[in-house]
Amino acid sequence: MSSVPAPPQARHKPWEEANPIVSGLLAFLIPGAGHLYQGRVFKGLVYLICIHGAFFTGMCLGEGMAVHYKVPPNAQGFQKISLSYVAQVGAGAWALPAIWQARRVEAKENQRTYSLTAPLTSSFTGIVDGDGPGSDGLTGELVGTISLQPTEGPASRDVEGTFTGTRNGKPVELALAGGLDLDKPIGASPGRFLRIRVAHEPDAHPNLDLAVTGVIPRPVWNWYEVPPDTPQLQEITGRLGKYFELALVFTWIAGLLNILAVWDCVKGPSLGFGDETPGEPVPDEAAKVAVKPVAAVMAIEKGK
Amino acid sequence: MLAISHVLQSINVNWYLVPMVAVISLCYSASQYELTDKILRVATKRFLYILAFMATAFAVLWFLSDGL
Repeated sequence: MSSVPAPPQARHKPWEEANPIVSGLLAFLIPGAGHLYQGRVFKGLVYLICIHGAFFTGMCLGEGMAVHYKVPPNAQGFQKISLSYVAQVGAGAWALPAIWQARRVEAKENQRTYSLTAPLTSSFTGIVDGDGPGSDGLTGELVGTISLQPTEGPASRDVEGTFTGTRNGKPVELALAGGLDLDKPIGASPGRFLRIRVAHEPDAHPNLDLAVTGVIPRPVWNWYEVPPDTPQLQEITGRLGKYFELALVFTWIAGLLNILAVWDCVKGPSLGFGDETPGEPVPDEAAKVAVKPVAAVMAIEKGK
Repeated sequence: MLAISHVLQSINVNWYLVPMVAVISLCYSASQYELTDKILRVATKRFLYILAFMATAFAVLWFLSDGL
């Protein structure tokens, strides 16, 4: 026995039963969540998977730099609005941190540093390189842990420490001292640039000069949606080419599709349930038509 | 994340058209209708139409650029 679907005007409309502000906010912040809150599981999952999929594909393709809010210097009026970000911000909570990160990256404390105020220990990947007699066997790729601490030198504050790990796959421990160059704590890439000189061994040639160069990881909140500076942006667009443009398109599409999802969550589907017969009045009009005879009977009864 | 980025960047850029069109078709159809089978039917049609249009455009451009 086949079940007969209820006529459109008799069907319950979850978007009218749920609180529109709560469901709209949920739908905006986490794509699909508003529909799940209303009990519209299929549509909730469609939006959740598709919009998140598009947004994070774009984020990964663009190495985390596709979504950011950057106002060009000396921008006036509408130039301060980044159209790219306007499209992306539709994706809700995932795109909103960009506004906060744009402020954080411009903070005075966020500076490249050449000294330390507190000890620093972190995993490290990079190279040891240099020149001078006897440097051939000492250079190579480094993977391990770096520990640095500030020291008071005779004239100025300096930095010393150790690297423990592997050089070209073989265990090594290097003493480090001076010449620190450490990138800003908040930056657009997951890796923070670090360079420091290797301490001079007493028995090494006086002209031997080695340095360790590489990256230490930044915590997620220090690189997620942080606006890249111009050289970084030029580097990534040059290196990735059309993949970076594709990353932008994916994130724009995710943001724009979520606007449709929010609208659907608050006001319902734009063309109805989908099984209305052509020529039949749309559900709201049908309900009005159905109410009219009842109202007429009530008016007659009142007149009696 | 960089490991995933490198995998994604190794895929030919044209293949991204398929999931992108699927996502657009599904979400747009879901915003138009409420019934699951209607959404799926309309999304499938739309997906095929868009791919057919893109394939036609590709074929025309390929034909026009022949010998350039």
